Amino acid sequence: MPETLFDLPFWLAVGQIIVIDILLGGDNAVVIALACRNLPFSQRRKGIAWGVTGAIALRIVMIFFAIHLLALPFLNIVGGILLLGIGIKLMCNACSDDQHDVACSNSLWGAVKTIVIADAVMSLDNVVAVAGAANGNMALVVFGIVISIPIILFGSQFVMRLMDRFPMVITLGAALLGWIAADMILNDVIIKPWSEQLSGWTHFLASAIGAMLVVLIGRWRNRRAAPKPIHEVSLFSTPKSEIARSRRLRI
Amino acid sequence: MSLRVLVAVDGSVHSRRAVEHVLRLAEAQCSIDLHLLTVQIPVESGHIRQFIPQASLEGHYRDSGLKALQEVVSILEELGHPHTAHIAVGHIAATITRYCDELKFELIVIGTHGRTGLRQVVMGSVAREVLKLARVPVTVVQ
Repeated sequence: MPETLFDLPFWLAVGQIIVIDILLGGDNAVVIALACRNLPFSQRRKGIAWGVTGAIALRIVMIFFAIHLLALPFLNIVGGILLLGIGIKLMCNACSDDQHDVACSNSLWGAVKTIVIADAVMSLDNVVAVAGAANGNMALVVFGIVISIPIILFGSQFVMRLMDRFPMVITLGAALLGWIAADMILNDVIIKPWSEQLSGWTHFLASAIGAMLVVLIGRWRNRRAAPKPIHEVSLFSTPKSEIARSRRLRI
Repeated sequence: MSLRVLVAVDGSVHSRRAVEHVLRLAEAQCSIDLHLLTVQIPVESGHIRQFIPQASLEGHYRDSGLKALQEVVSILEELGHPHTAHIAVGHIAATITRYCDELKFELIVIGTHGRTGLRQVVMGSVAREVLKLARVPVTVVQ
């Protein structure tokens, strides 16, 4: 597609997808590492490999379904609203997420299961956002998946540092999700005949409102949340394996 | 009464220099109550808590915290210098200064990587942000 090489909206979408993948893909990597933490060393590599394979396969299937579903009436509106919620949640730094009672699995298949189920839930965000940014362009969708894989595999440390250094990145990312969400709603099969008659700048206005909505609600929720005490981790823990580990570190 | 000093540690050669500087102060007849603090960046989003037990998260922070502390703690133990080590989780600079405020430290000592130019912009300096946020004297060791 030589003509798309100079197509500004195409490259804007590419940029959006990369930002989405970086912002929403980082925690998948953390789950993979943490789920395999309790495995014996010999199985850890295997657990990571199988978990990543399962997670990537699942992501491809999910995005394929997402693209087809978004062609149906009303589903772009639903996706857009979902995306607004994802943006608000991204902003939230003091959310009291209830800790679920999750068991720590020590078996290889237990770890793989955790990775795949966690990835199914966590990449739903990513899939909806990429589908929204790609706007039906299959090449962009494939690009979005391909670019998210190295981020899942290697990027988490970098993404975490980046977010610690520039908390602004999170706000900008949330604004981007709000922007895409508004665009997505306007592209719904039901609304499109009406929204297409509007001039170009109304689209920008709607997107800007979406972005602002996410940032303002996110800010408001953060302000209402009570500040949390410093999270301190004790140097010692009770399970034997942990003690053995810290002894090895001579502390 | 001894001076309560908080040394921020990240496992790099720069935090070792910061500890060495404090030891030099102690040598110069200054009685020092030495505390080491390493801050780990939180990995948990709301999603992660649904799938990973809290104990695993704590274990992960403990492992990476102990790794950051390892070198300076072994130096201090060799010298027999009393010290207390802490691991906390949060935004690095803000957690260091909050910790200092809440536990009433009188001096923060922190090493800096001394990055310049573009690397300074991208990776930034925790030390610089600590300087901005701290309400007690800060010694930056390069």
